[in-house]
Amino acid sequence: MMGRTIFIDPGRCIGCQACVSACRECDSHRGKSMIHLDYPDEGRSVASLPTVCMHCEDPVAPCAEVCPADAILVTPDGVVQQADTTRCIGCANCVNACPFGVPKIDLQAKLQMKCNLCYDRTAYGLAPMCATVCPTGALFYGTVEELRAERPGVQVADSFTFGTTTVSTGVAMVVPADKVQWPVPGGLPVVEINGKDVR
Amino acid sequence: MTEPPQTAEPTPPPGGPAPASGATDPAAADPPPQSPGAVRRRASLVGAVVSALLVVAIVLGSRLLRDFDSALLPYAVATVFLAFGVAYRYTVWISAPGARRLFRKGWGSFFSVANFRSAPTALPRMIATYLGFQKFLGARSHARWAAHQLVFWGCLLAAAITFPLTWGWFTFTSSTGSGPGYEMRIWGFKVLGFDSLNIVGWLMFHGLDIAAVLVIPGAGYFLWRRMKDRGAITGQRFAYDLVPLLALIVISVTGLLLTFSSIFLHGGGYEFLAVLHMVSVVFTLIYIPFGKFFHIVQRPAAVGMQLFKYTSRRKDEGGEVFACRRCGQPVDTAPYVENLQGTMRDLDLGFADWAEYCPRCKRVLRGTAYLDHVKKGFK
Repeated sequence: MMGRTIFIDPGRCIGCQACVSACRECDSHRGKSMIHLDYPDEGRSVASLPTVCMHCEDPVAPCAEVCPADAILVTPDGVVQQADTTRCIGCANCVNACPFGVPKIDLQAKLQMKCNLCYDRTAYGLAPMCATVCPTGALFYGTVEELRAERPGVQVADSFTFGTTTVSTGVAMVVPADKVQWPVPGGLPVVEINGKDVR
Repeated sequence: MTEPPQTAEPTPPPGGPAPASGATDPAAADPPPQSPGAVRRRASLVGAVVSALLVVAIVLGSRLLRDFDSALLPYAVATVFLAFGVAYRYTVWISAPGARRLFRKGWGSFFSVANFRSAPTALPRMIATYLGFQKFLGARSHARWAAHQLVFWGCLLAAAITFPLTWGWFTFTSSTGSGPGYEMRIWGFKVLGFDSLNIVGWLMFHGLDIAAVLVIPGAGYFLWRRMKDRGAITGQRFAYDLVPLLALIVISVTGLLLTFSSIFLHGGGYEFLAVLHMVSVVFTLIYIPFGKFFHIVQRPAAVGMQLFKYTSRRKDEGGEVFACRRCGQPVDTAPYVENLQGTMRDLDLGFADWAEYCPRCKRVLRGTAYLDHVKKGFK
């Protein structure tokens, strides 16, 4: 996990979309929001899940690994940047390989875009746009010590399981104290599709 | 802005997880990735062979150096280094799993007789719109498209003139010694006779000036953008983003100053300018394989990728479009998904099955798992 990073607490998310609007203001992708806000149990629950790029550390950035054009750069501080506009060929490998479903693609522009942790801000010590505007603290930017100073005893997890693979990330999620010992399930293997058990 | 690529009508979503298209393991048909040392050795060998072939081509094309202009020797030597560097980096590049599979699929589509029969205009159209007129850049920004077109055509014109000239393949000779009648010869064969005092002659002798006039405003715009546009400034690197633009501008300006010196200064400062121009060109040629300019070499491979996807999509009567296993929205063509899964297996990414779900469903399924197993009700 990076020193200063985003901590996501879906339990605090109220689905207000402030993060989605603020993300559009980021200089590196003006007018286009890179954060995803999904409703996993839509129609039955108001639960919402904000998703930013998790900046995978191990394996390092699967999106960059599958890129045939070497377009995705990982900076020394662990931030997985969006595709280099000169190199990206719009093949969508990164879009479909990302285990968290983060990158977007503009097929006309043949260009991938994704959350880059607001590098224009975080490189200068400022919080990303989404964390700056989140009214409930569902998106918190800082160190884990700063998080715990605000929320005593809070536990975070930075590894996720996808089948037999565990992915360690630079961005972390808040988890209950009794669940911190094991990685957060990433959704694979899929056990149910549209109410039907597919195990 | 879309998430899953919008393709033709998808096949109905299947009942549960299964390999894409029911195909055999695509990784099994592919040789295992080579070690970095083996890749470097192969790349060095390919680079050496390509540069040796270029030297042979220069010697033969200049009629055993009879037409070779020794004043242009540094340029010719730089192109030999360029050939080595490009071949080396290209080999290393296509040895990586993602690029290797793209390379094979692209060339497979390119040489496919069946593809040619079913869509004979697809390849020329893609080359024209993608490589020539770069329509995709217009979707990013009209100003960037216009500036890139200027740089692109200017550089293409300059390369078409300079490379054969420095290799001794082009010669301009006059039977009267000082003109105005000139003959243009390629490999010793006369292809064109012209009067240096008419418009054709002016264009022939000022081709590089025209190229410079095209490149300077294009590269100047990009340089201005790199100074002013906050999106472009984010994460930009001097050596990668600014040096190429500065190099193009220095080459173009010094090239124009050579003409200026010749016409208006009676050759004043010509030797100094010639050395400065030569140094900037040699530096740029040697820099091409190692920086931003490598996209010139890489970009044509994208046509192969587009052709691969396009021809796969055309077969969609046979269910070639792969639908998300959860929501049924198209993910991409089935051969593409299969190819990606092969790449992921090559890279030991143990979640290749996940590629059969669209990005939104991946997020929703992860949210559901979090809701069910980590924090019930997100409380």
